[in-house]
Amino acid sequence: MSARETVGRRETGLGEDAASVASTGGREAAPAHPNRLPTDWWRRNPRYVLYMLREFTAVPIAIWMVWFLIEIGRARGGPAGYRPHQSLAFVIFSVVCLVFAVWHSFTFLRLSGLIVRIPLGERTVPASAIVAGSFGLLIVATVVVGGLLTLGGR
Amino acid sequence: MRHPGPNRLEGLFWALFAQSAVLTALVIPAHILVQGVLGPLGIVPAFDQHYSTFAAGLGNWLVKLYLFIVFGATFWVFAHRVRYTLLEVGVPGGKQGLGVVTYGLAGLATLVAAYLLLTVP
Repeated sequence: MSARETVGRRETGLGEDAASVASTGGREAAPAHPNRLPTDWWRRNPRYVLYMLREFTAVPIAIWMVWFLIEIGRARGGPAGYRPHQSLAFVIFSVVCLVFAVWHSFTFLRLSGLIVRIPLGERTVPASAIVAGSFGLLIVATVVVGGLLTLGGR
Repeated sequence: MRHPGPNRLEGLFWALFAQSAVLTALVIPAHILVQGVLGPLGIVPAFDQHYSTFAAGLGNWLVKLYLFIVFGATFWVFAHRVRYTLLEVGVPGGKQGLGVVTYGLAGLATLVAAYLLLTVP
């Protein structure tokens, strides 16, 4: 849209549709129909439910990280005021978050075969090999990070 | 009005989301497993179960940097996914409005993480 059209639209008070017609030289532009789905669309198919569950994984993971931040905040007060999370409620909460975290890892890394393209001569590395490599990396990262967190506690 | 052509800012957001989601997919299960389950149950000695080991770990600049990246990535994934999920279930506010709220929350949480990591002994 040119500056003149913008100014003209502002001065004449034309709405979006009228301005759109004007900008197409009199030809009537196709009306815009926003794609509105019912809010419960995701409950109509089990695959959609799983999709929403995958999207929801970010919430419990973020909440768990906020708990971790609270623990770091407690450590700022020195040894006298430090209390690590040890309650049964926290363990149960963590187990629930772990399920969501593993679901996020599984669903996201499973997509890596579709997203990542690694050239290999005139071909590319097969998607199955990329997915297998991603899950292998998850196992290595879990062992390394878990090992460091454990070694740091000795 | 946005100029025609690819929305580079949106592309950057998606790229950041992809990188952050990969990082969280790789390292978060280990954190929750060790610090949230095995450590509190006393099965393994997690570094945050005692002040001395926790402070020693957090005193290392590499650990601070690593945790800052993990916190930032986690909160970014949260913001991006929540933004689009809310849009998909028809929550009013528009793409930009929801983006301001969710990315704003993530940015604030990341700043808090940076502050705590920098000021912890």
